[in-house]
Amino acid sequence: MRCERCGKELTNRIIKINGVTYCDNCARLMGYDRFLREPSDLMGNPFAPLDQIASSLMQMSELDFGNSTLTCPKCGMTLREFENEGRVGCIECYNTFNENIIREMFKQQGNSEYAGRLPAQSADTDAETKEIPQIKKTAKPGIETVKMDPSANKATGKEETKAASVKEEEKGGLTIEQLAKADLGMLSDDDLEKGIKIAAEAEEYKLASRLRDELKGRKDGGNNG
Amino acid sequence: MLQGSEMNLKAERTVAIMAEWYTNEGKDNDVVLSTKACIVRNIKGYNFMPRLDDKECQSLLETVDNAVDKSIYNGGNAADFDNETILRLTRLQILGREASQLVEPERKAFYYNDDASLSITVGCGEHLTVKAMKQGHDIGVYKTAEKEALNLESKLDIAFSENYGFLTSNVRLAGTGLKILYTVSLPAISKTEGGIAALTQRVSQYEWTIYPFADRGEIADSDVYIIASVNTLGVTEDELLKRGEMLITDVIKAERACREEIATSKKEQSADIYGRSYGTLRYAGMISRSEALQALGWIRLYHDYDDSGEIKLSWNTLDKITMDILWEPGAPSRKSSQSAASQKYRANGIRNILKGDE
Repeated sequence: MRCERCGKELTNRIIKINGVTYCDNCARLMGYDRFLREPSDLMGNPFAPLDQIASSLMQMSELDFGNSTLTCPKCGMTLREFENEGRVGCIECYNTFNENIIREMFKQQGNSEYAGRLPAQSADTDAETKEIPQIKKTAKPGIETVKMDPSANKATGKEETKAASVKEEEKGGLTIEQLAKADLGMLSDDDLEKGIKIAAEAEEYKLASRLRDELKGRKDGGNNG
Repeated sequence: MLQGSEMNLKAERTVAIMAEWYTNEGKDNDVVLSTKACIVRNIKGYNFMPRLDDKECQSLLETVDNAVDKSIYNGGNAADFDNETILRLTRLQILGREASQLVEPERKAFYYNDDASLSITVGCGEHLTVKAMKQGHDIGVYKTAEKEALNLESKLDIAFSENYGFLTSNVRLAGTGLKILYTVSLPAISKTEGGIAALTQRVSQYEWTIYPFADRGEIADSDVYIIASVNTLGVTEDELLKRGEMLITDVIKAERACREEIATSKKEQSADIYGRSYGTLRYAGMISRSEALQALGWIRLYHDYDDSGEIKLSWNTLDKITMDILWEPGAPSRKSSQSAASQKYRANGIRNILKGDE
């Protein structure tokens, strides 16, 4: 599950306010500190009002001072309408609200790069031909039993938590500053992929797009070659 | 395009001959009620639905109507459907339970094959939604939906971008435009402390999502959940399907393990509730939706552990009753579904099905 505000993978607490799921950080930035605190915290903190002021100031820095009157020349949809409804009115909207759409995609999916099939071209999948065997019902305890204890959810293989992978990336030494200054041509494909994740998590969508385009350009070049 | 009277005749014929896709025997149907694949597409040259005026909309409906193979599909413009057809299509899960898709029916069309396992919806959110459904656990639904999507893509000029893939009005669907949904009944995980929380965490590790079977604004009144894919970008269709198969395999194993744990560690209590639940469903003269679903959950939980042999009930029958109740037209919060007449009608329907299975 991801935070619906920043798109980060939720690893610790899930905070749901008015039907929207937030990570700790975003809940704090949105001024919902009270949902994060234990009752004992409130009792023991004489400076709670200062926290609220700080939180409000942080929230102000998050306000969007962009061009909210931006309008699609083809269908007349405004940026505000798109942000309120999450829907666009026509194909041209994808050009008009490009950055906002990419941001929305990153928030929801942690990715904005298309990897699917082309029109009128079947996907390379064995979903139809593969015979899926009925899963045996003899779930002998200790052999096929899947533990439902949350602590048993130590991920393996693909199921690594995002938090763990982010830590690994940090260990790799890549930072936003380094990525922003880097000559992208000098970065390996692996570094570019890691960089896209790091930039997306830091909400540096322009940087993430640059890295993505560089990676895509290489892949396209490789395919043509 | 078919004229109104001609359409009604066709709809009546369809109601008469239509089988129910969800009564076919499916794999792993003790846990998975159904597998669905939905693919959305839009057509170039038309605004997306929120910005499509009525004249353009009529043109869109005609364009799609010309592309739909009438030797496979029944149906057409929703404005031509009679009440019986609407109720039938709701039970067959083509229309939502509140039939909210039928707001402005003249702007919408529904096409469906004979058992309603494959459908094309026009004008509901996106221009086109291709939906394939199978009873039980069957990821083959993807290929069925893809085949129809490919057919439409070859006949129509589909909105596609190299960067974003298939373009949609709802940007959360842009990319593959594909959603896979498993409807699962999890009475044992639901009754296991922390079970659903652990499952939710597990599902999110696969970047999928799980939510209770309930429409917006409803309170979930059963232990039936939907497990659905999320990503339409950054993942190929094949990767998505493989991830979904790994996930659903985990879910099936976990539910069965929890059933075994409950049925063996609390055998007497489970057997007692099982028998009582069956008795309620088999002989009740009136039954609420929520009571029926709770009873079905207990029967599902203990079904494979009942060694008395007194209750004869197939998984298929259990699934049919469950889906009939889940997809009753009208939300459970509505007074009409809680009325005495409605409870009598429901109880009578369940009794007849169970009687037939004895």
